[in-house]
Amino acid sequence: MKHLRKLLTTRLAAIPTSFAVGILIVAVLGFVDAAYLTIEHYKGVIPPCSVVSGCETVLTSSYSLILGMPVSLLGALYYLVIAIGIFAYMDTKKTEILKWTLFLTIFGLLMSLWFLVVQAFILKAWCIYCLGSAVTSIALFVLANIVFKKYMITETVDNTAVLQ
Amino acid sequence: MNTKRIIFWLGFVVVFGLIIWGLVVAMNKPPVMGLNLGAPAPVTEADHVRGSADAPVTLIEYSDFQCPACAIYYPLVERLLSESTTTVRFVYRHYPLYPQPHKNAFIASQAAEAAGLQGKFWEMYQLLFDNQKSWENLPNTESVFEGYATRIGLNTEAFKKDLASDSVKKRVQRDRDEGISLGVNSTPTFFVNGKAIVNPQSYEAFKKIIDDAARGDSN
Repeated sequence: MKHLRKLLTTRLAAIPTSFAVGILIVAVLGFVDAAYLTIEHYKGVIPPCSVVSGCETVLTSSYSLILGMPVSLLGALYYLVIAIGIFAYMDTKKTEILKWTLFLTIFGLLMSLWFLVVQAFILKAWCIYCLGSAVTSIALFVLANIVFKKYMITETVDNTAVLQ
Repeated sequence: MNTKRIIFWLGFVVVFGLIIWGLVVAMNKPPVMGLNLGAPAPVTEADHVRGSADAPVTLIEYSDFQCPACAIYYPLVERLLSESTTTVRFVYRHYPLYPQPHKNAFIASQAAEAAGLQGKFWEMYQLLFDNQKSWENLPNTESVFEGYATRIGLNTEAFKKDLASDSVKKRVQRDRDEGISLGVNSTPTFFVNGKAIVNPQSYEAFKKIIDDAARGDSN
């Protein structure tokens, strides 16, 4: 609760465009990866089994669907939302948009951690594309944390904003 | 809204549109090169064969009972056999991806072979694929496979003995060694009249390959 209240009252200072572009690039990479798997899913491609990969085990498992939707589609939408948020921030310069977009990265992180657990302990098989998505979503979360640390503004008693 | 902003957002939409379009186009390209694998050994008495010996098309599958893709192709092959009774002869050869990634694949092949010794290879083959999800991750599959043996009316004692026998292991290993020598590296790998095919992505595509091969043979 304390954290949520803090988040609601926190304001962010403007971040450098290069930083925003960096986040955008990571989100686009995640999107390409997830979109690839989504298209493959809807094309009905049957990935063959081979010694070098465990992708087919992961992608045909019951964990690859949530409410009948492939996880990769949810992933693609997630990265798209992040990209739209960052883009909207770059367009409007409103740091509120930036704050809530970055806040969303916690969900990407939690989902990715869950799927890492599923791959490591339940399926005991790894899918390189899913690992790629784990990398991008963890990277987004780390970048978001850096922004929150570096660019947070705390209100002082006399109401002048101070950059922490 | 000024022009600059419109262009800004248009750029965003265009970039994502291009990404999706690029992916779809790239993924729709049929694989340029066919599979370059050796020709499988001729079908012999020792093989597991269904369909008539004088069928114009011989379909050989190198397969792994624990492979999900093989389990997806299994009903397609069954349908092919039931719809093309006079055109296809089907041969199943073991290619267990063992010990990685499929730790139970080898013992599953042994179970099919042990059932084969009592004339019920195909009955066990069907049970193994039908129930793949229920045994794929078990630490010990023997009791489950013995249950299948009972279900298809095998002599369970003989089955148990054969399941662990060296000759059954060697029989599975022989198929696998042959597959390796051909360059098979994924399952399922299908050979139509001695030539490796790129796995068809639907029943219709599969049937067309078989029908074309049947026509080519009779011409």
